[in-house]
Amino acid sequence: MPHPPRRPSPPRMRGFLRVLAGLLVLIPFSGGAQEAVGPNPAGHGSFTASHAAKMRSQTADHSKFTALKGPFKDGDGPAVTRACLTCHTKAAEQMMATSHWTWNVAKDGKNGYGKSTALVNNYCLTIVGGNTEGCTRCHAGYGFKDKTFDFTKQENVDCLVCHDTTGDYEKERAGMPNPAVPLAEIAQKVGTPTNKNCGACHFFGGGANATKHGDLDDTILKAPRTEDVHMSRQGAGMDCVDCHTSAEHKVGGPNYVIPADRRDEPKFAGESISRMACPACHTVAPHQSYVLNRHYQKIACQTCHIPAFARGERPTNTFWDWATSGRLKDGRPYEEKDANGWPTYTSMRGKMVWERNVKPTYVWYNGNLDFLRLTDKLPAARPIVMNPAEGSYADPKAKIWPFKFHEATQPFDPVNNTFVAPFTDGPAGSGAYWGDWKMDVAVQKGMETAGLPYSGKFDYVRTTMLWPITHMVAPKEQALACTECHAKKGRLEQVGGFYLLGRDRGMGIDVLGFGMILLTILGVATHGLIRTLHGRK
Amino acid sequence: MRRVVLYELFERFWHWAQALLILTMMLTGFEIRGVGPHIFGFARAVTLHNYLALALITLIVFAIFWHVTTGEWRQYIPTRKFLQEMVRFYLTGIFKGAPHPVKKHRMAKLNPLQRLAYLGFKVLIIPVQISTGALYFFYPNLQHTMGWSPTSLWFVAVVHVLGAFALVAFLIGHVYLTTTGHTPMTNLKAMLLGWEDLHDDEYFDQA
Repeated sequence: MPHPPRRPSPPRMRGFLRVLAGLLVLIPFSGGAQEAVGPNPAGHGSFTASHAAKMRSQTADHSKFTALKGPFKDGDGPAVTRACLTCHTKAAEQMMATSHWTWNVAKDGKNGYGKSTALVNNYCLTIVGGNTEGCTRCHAGYGFKDKTFDFTKQENVDCLVCHDTTGDYEKERAGMPNPAVPLAEIAQKVGTPTNKNCGACHFFGGGANATKHGDLDDTILKAPRTEDVHMSRQGAGMDCVDCHTSAEHKVGGPNYVIPADRRDEPKFAGESISRMACPACHTVAPHQSYVLNRHYQKIACQTCHIPAFARGERPTNTFWDWATSGRLKDGRPYEEKDANGWPTYTSMRGKMVWERNVKPTYVWYNGNLDFLRLTDKLPAARPIVMNPAEGSYADPKAKIWPFKFHEATQPFDPVNNTFVAPFTDGPAGSGAYWGDWKMDVAVQKGMETAGLPYSGKFDYVRTTMLWPITHMVAPKEQALACTECHAKKGRLEQVGGFYLLGRDRGMGIDVLGFGMILLTILGVATHGLIRTLHGRK
Repeated sequence: MRRVVLYELFERFWHWAQALLILTMMLTGFEIRGVGPHIFGFARAVTLHNYLALALITLIVFAIFWHVTTGEWRQYIPTRKFLQEMVRFYLTGIFKGAPHPVKKHRMAKLNPLQRLAYLGFKVLIIPVQISTGALYFFYPNLQHTMGWSPTSLWFVAVVHVLGAFALVAFLIGHVYLTTTGHTPMTNLKAMLLGWEDLHDDEYFDQA
């Protein structure tokens, strides 16, 4: 039998403890979760090493292709795409099957989970109420203005937004290239998507840098190691696509459908068992301590290793109060800012709260968020949780996970009991909220455009939306100390369903115990005192 | 006067090693509980507590072997003989300078009260602490494989903590009672050196 290769000095004590433990109580350790996968030798790269490897993997110099020499008319993105497709004949077809293109996914047999269909959030609310053109500057396509957009036209796929390596590419309304962008030059330098490509949209969700996610903003591009141990060039120097692996242009990671931690199931054929899950590189037993490793059964890595979100310089939005929006000064919209320069009120959005270094909220999460669509009836509870996380202690796939809870007030239809899609983005006279400042008109118009039933009455309702936190992982020195959770009033104070050492300590037992000790001391002291008074012994 | 060897070398080693282990387990345990002084820090206290438990169990396995093979376990067989006299001695006699009612022998070195106390310690407190400790440590695994309730761990925790408090109370009483020998230090010396000089010939000869 071949011997496994000897490793220098592995955690011998851990093994010892396990063996002894196994002897003491003859029970099998619970299933696969404890089976250590050998450490991945390529797991800890430096930025330079991983960057060099990526450069080597390129097999084509795109500046050698005549099709890319152009010249292309200013802003003529589709012409570039046609050129790309002369070699990459299946690329557009592949792209069109992804949610980067459709902005919609079906899950559990139900359609409408996406911003192009029926999803609603509590930031800018929706795009389907007539706001498509402004929002689709982030669509990986050209010309998505309204629902008449032709989702089957291959030349409408935007290759450059993801594959530009120069950083000069820029999109405008409806996703068209800025006419000033040198298309031919960019087309000759295409390559693997970098953090800048992904960040061009994903850093700016919610309308501005850092607004939406709380763990994604452009500080990642120049993050010190303390902010993001993976992405920082002083850290592992990784790119988004190192974890968000892809095949056939399907990028792993869409949170509407993909369980963030269904580590055993590839999202699609060819996906390298989703590297989005930490154990893909770190194994399920990365700590020296057996006790720490065992936490992974119920605690996501993120829970301890992301002590706070918005850890860069930029604040993230935590409260957005549509109910107070629309106030005007002398008939004009205005903004108020605090000492940091962060807006506390804007006529467009209402009162706002921005925060940095925010402690996450922790809930059980099996990877599935139950989104309420525009077509769904609203629950009675207030605030309305727009996408409650599924999971509990009993759910073997669920773990305690950190979330950004985004609070807001937003318009809804109290008669039909649904969310509404106001028409916000348009000039004065169009009926758009940001033009004419009338929410009733904006909702009426928006629901018409969206083709959704509207009672004619709207009101504001308090909502909470959950954003799983998984980026901006801190270096291990900053991981949570045990007593952040194993304590009274700790971080897991509200997470139910199990006994937690330190948190669920009953004071009665301590009173009883100390009482017992006190009585013993009293008894002993009295006995000793009498002995001394008798002057004997 | 007679010199009696009471505690052999292994017995003394076992006693003091156990004392040290239990004391450090108390410190770490109460720090983990959150009611004791913060000495080690939570993480180190947990690690230490777990390793100390293993060390203690190992020591106890050796001690059991020693008790069985030497027959010393008989020292702990409870008896009613002189039990009332012992109780009376601690309640009144000791104050009047009355002599100790039970004669110490090599093979009967424990008085009936000691027999009861140490037997209780060995067959009740320590087993309860070890089994609840093991249950506590393996609860996540057991809960998973046996389908136990994740909230029922509180019961294990409560018993383990009550056992710990009982140990502290035991320790206080134990240390105090060591001072009730011929002189306050006699018993302590015996546990350190192994032998004791007894000055009870006269009393027992009379009887």
